[in-house]
Amino acid sequence: MGDKDRKKVDVSVDKVTIKNLAMGGLLGGGGECFVDVKDGKAIRIRPYKYDWKTDFESLRPWTITRNGESLSPLSKALPAPFSLAYKKRTFSPNRIKFPLKRVDWDPNGERNPQNRGKSKYVRISWEEAIDLVASEVTRIHKEYGPLAILAQGDGHGENKTIHTPHGHQARLLDMMGGFTQQVRNPDSWEGWYWGAKHVWGQGFQGMMSPAANLIKDISENCDMVLKWGCDEETTPWGFTGQYASRISQFWTRAGIKQVYICPDLNYANAVHGDKWIPVLPNTDAALQLAVIYVWLTEGTWDKEYVKTHAVGMDKIEAYVLGTDEDGFPKTPEWASKKCGVPEWTIKALARQFAKNTTSIIHYFGGSAFRGPYSHEPGRLECVMLGMQGLGGPGVHQAQMTYFGMPRAEGLGSVRFFNPDLPERLTKPCWTTVHAWGPQLIPKTLIQDAIMKAPLVFHGSGGQECQTEEQFTKYTYPIEKEKGGVPIHMIWTDTPCRITCWNHGNWTIDAMKHDSIETIVAQHPWLENECLYADIILPANTTLEVEDIVTTVRQGPHFASVSIQEQSVRPVGESKSDYEIVAAIADKLGYGDEFTGGLSTMDLQKIVFDAMKMDKLTTWEDFYEKKTYVYKTATDWEQDPPGFRKFYEDPKSNPLLTPSGLLEFYSQRLADHFPDDKERPPFPQWVERGITHDESLASERAGMFPLLLMSNHPRWRTHAQGDDIVWARETPTGKVLGFDGYNYEPIWINPGDAEARGIKDGDVVKVFNERGIVLVGARVWERIMPGVVYVDHGARHDPLIPGKVDRGGAINTIAPNGLTSKNCCGQATSGYIVDVQKVKNEEWEAWRRDYPDAFARKYDPGAGLRFDAWVVER
Amino acid sequence: MKVFVIDVDKCTGCYACQFVCKDEHVGNDWSPIAKPQPDTGQFWMHLKEYIRGTVPKVEMHYIPLLCQHCDDAPCIKACDVEGVMYKREDGLVEIDADKCIGCRMCVDACPYDAIYFNDDLNLAQKCTGCAHLLDGGEWKVPRCADACHTEAIMFGEEEDFADLIAKAEILMPEEGCKPRVYYLNIPKKFVAGTIYDPAAKEIVEGATLTLKGADGATCTATTDGFGDFWFRGLADDASFTLTIAAPGFATKTIDGIVTAKDVNLGDIALAK
Repeated sequence: MGDKDRKKVDVSVDKVTIKNLAMGGLLGGGGECFVDVKDGKAIRIRPYKYDWKTDFESLRPWTITRNGESLSPLSKALPAPFSLAYKKRTFSPNRIKFPLKRVDWDPNGERNPQNRGKSKYVRISWEEAIDLVASEVTRIHKEYGPLAILAQGDGHGENKTIHTPHGHQARLLDMMGGFTQQVRNPDSWEGWYWGAKHVWGQGFQGMMSPAANLIKDISENCDMVLKWGCDEETTPWGFTGQYASRISQFWTRAGIKQVYICPDLNYANAVHGDKWIPVLPNTDAALQLAVIYVWLTEGTWDKEYVKTHAVGMDKIEAYVLGTDEDGFPKTPEWASKKCGVPEWTIKALARQFAKNTTSIIHYFGGSAFRGPYSHEPGRLECVMLGMQGLGGPGVHQAQMTYFGMPRAEGLGSVRFFNPDLPERLTKPCWTTVHAWGPQLIPKTLIQDAIMKAPLVFHGSGGQECQTEEQFTKYTYPIEKEKGGVPIHMIWTDTPCRITCWNHGNWTIDAMKHDSIETIVAQHPWLENECLYADIILPANTTLEVEDIVTTVRQGPHFASVSIQEQSVRPVGESKSDYEIVAAIADKLGYGDEFTGGLSTMDLQKIVFDAMKMDKLTTWEDFYEKKTYVYKTATDWEQDPPGFRKFYEDPKSNPLLTPSGLLEFYSQRLADHFPDDKERPPFPQWVERGITHDESLASERAGMFPLLLMSNHPRWRTHAQGDDIVWARETPTGKVLGFDGYNYEPIWINPGDAEARGIKDGDVVKVFNERGIVLVGARVWERIMPGVVYVDHGARHDPLIPGKVDRGGAINTIAPNGLTSKNCCGQATSGYIVDVQKVKNEEWEAWRRDYPDAFARKYDPGAGLRFDAWVVER
Repeated sequence: MKVFVIDVDKCTGCYACQFVCKDEHVGNDWSPIAKPQPDTGQFWMHLKEYIRGTVPKVEMHYIPLLCQHCDDAPCIKACDVEGVMYKREDGLVEIDADKCIGCRMCVDACPYDAIYFNDDLNLAQKCTGCAHLLDGGEWKVPRCADACHTEAIMFGEEEDFADLIAKAEILMPEEGCKPRVYYLNIPKKFVAGTIYDPAAKEIVEGATLTLKGADGATCTATTDGFGDFWFRGLADDASFTLTIAAPGFATKTIDGIVTAKDVNLGDIALAK
């Protein structure tokens, strides 16, 4: 039979919807996809095409060249693989199908907070759920006052604007007299937020800013880039997609040497690395100091630049050379013992750095800038770059593809938190980026607030707070006369504190505390903190809502704004986060104020107007095409790269520091925190202190001899995406245990594994005093000896709540301690643990004592199931 | 005639190809080109990963493995049922999902293990080249190539890829199947290390390394600013002797280097 005689398959679709399926949340876009729909079914998810409705050349695709090689954008978006697998999220067996109430939570009787995490749930109607939440809000307001309700409306989440997954409850509660705000710390940027800001000013959450045209300048000038804790094949995925790969490949073709400094052969290192320098977790400061030592002793630093551009070099010099009261030089020999890098390699790194035009590349903090005292490596990085002429050709810190790409025409901002959007739409997300509630608790201190109040702390940690705010002293609760009161109710949305923040096991203990009378959770999936809630409200996913999304962050080839039509009907009885809170607002008598009587199209038009898109197109044309792609600005090459203007003329272009210069020594820190040994006025090697004792020099290292590192996950965006079957079945997705359970992988070097009798595929426990996490061993050369690696964000599956986790939620055993005494960031990588095989008698005891945990329904592909926690009424 | 050309050097191992193959085929029925692919455990597009070397000289590569759409396909020969397995005019090899009787002969016949048996549906399944989409007219490439962000997976007319095919290799040429999937830049073995001076605790830059094979052929390398040297593109299971020479140091020889695996000789001390 010839081909023309064969039956053809009908592949027509009814409509093509646009969905931005990255998971950074916060009103931003990324991961632009087309969802093909037929008969109400999502048939396929594929990369969005920039030339769908526009001639590609009219977008003015740019070109960057070096050594005869060139880099240009493609006509298609490059979403991460998990964005393309989004059907598995929307239709996950873990989706919450209808509202739930904990079986033994009775608002009119016994509330049994101690049973949170243990008790199951019964189905209730939306009517009952809305009544319950509304009456609890009313009761708490009456009994304690409005600030007794904690709104946890922040974190990562799906890319939605009108239906943003976060903070609608905060907007409602604000209308009703206020609430206690959970302020989200810059969890991916701690080292720069608490450190670098004091050297080069505000920056962008402490990262170097301005950051225009960094990719062009680095490409044209660098001989070498240091990817210090950077894995551009992982961390951009959930935010901007996969363009970074193409830049790294271009740099390879152009002959720019790419050196990876990290404990692991991370995914980028594995395919782009020209040189891997394995460094023990959280010892980067020792390595940096030794590099500076070599420069000082060999005179290979830019003394003239430092003289005119920096203050405090004398302090650095005395400390590094050991001529100050510290009294010992920070030599390569000294550093080698701390950081595990051979002395000769440290010297070589220092000389290569000094000799070659070098930039330092990141995409978020990786492991290196999220550990105890991460402000020290964060600040030392600024010092190193300053000593080599920061802002000069090819001397930058760059967050690869987050910033630094060619500028778009007519786009107001490329910030994380799109400032062009009006308050009506951004206010829910303020909970994440500002400190604005009358009474607030940093996210890292929630458990302390519940268990150890009153609290005093400096700085809220709000992501976009100014540097000065770090000196503001806060108390929790605030004074009674200002309405201060301890919290008694928590209303959380898309929560992931247990698995993504500090000491999740203590979060669990706090959620079971008897002062917390009511916990309301809204989320599409029954996971993490939902398991400790009293009322659970089923939210829905991006595919199920009509919205508009602005992809303005850099990283995709082009910025775009798209009308996001509904692809599929809501799963079960789910509603959007906005619709849920609107229904509760209505019950409480705030319905009109909450919705403002605005339709979805009204809100879409508000975004169009706020973005001043009328200067670029018409509303009618935009609405018909459903998408607008920004052209490259004709004069993009004129934007001065990074700190170039400061480099050229620091007096006329001062930094946002008190002196206007790079402050290697911060008089401001010295004035505000004169006794702070953990974050002294200039960066030092801080091995231990009152907040942490998590290095191999600790006495505890006798019991816990391995250093654990935890990066942002490859197959999730923090907690999101753990149920994607097709990711779980990859070699780094999950490890299929002997018992049929899919365990989160732990990477362990063959030598460390052999010493413990561990083989690849074994179910092992990683533990310290804070608890036990069960994981599956991946024994391989992708991790240096003495270090084990577990991605954070695996869904918590309590075997013993607060003690033993089977889901691989590694942060359950992360330190509770903050970044340091006066810095309320998190320290969730670079702490000591041990790893051992689980003994048969342990399994037997757990199975005997916690039979319910083992009997829970479980999906062999996707893992946790919604119905594991639901019983008939 | 269509071909796949896959540049292994460009593949970053993101698995988008494997995911979108499932996105297209899990839960969608494109009969007779394909009935649904099982959700887990089967991979019509299968990304294979390889970790080579030891800390800190470790590299990875990934090979996307799919039906090789052979011109001399053993599966077609093995299939006894008229019209089930066939080669299209564009070169793609297909299994008619409506006609397959589930005899498994093709599964056993494929040297590439690219044909899977679906127990639930009782039929053999594999990469179709997304023939259903190509036939629809709007698609020019299959899902895997559409989703590949580095253009490592290329698909198109054979003559358009003539230059690349000339440089490419095929998998398992000894099987003689004449596959229509071509691979570029599959790495061969490496021998690597770092040279340092134990007295000065310094790397040695510019040391000359000579790697001599059992057949007497030699290649040379020079250490870089990190003291590193890399010999790449070496054959499997070959034996070598390495000679290290640097001004001011005694020449050092390392015998018995065998490339059964990639070899990291570690940090090598050079005496004066």
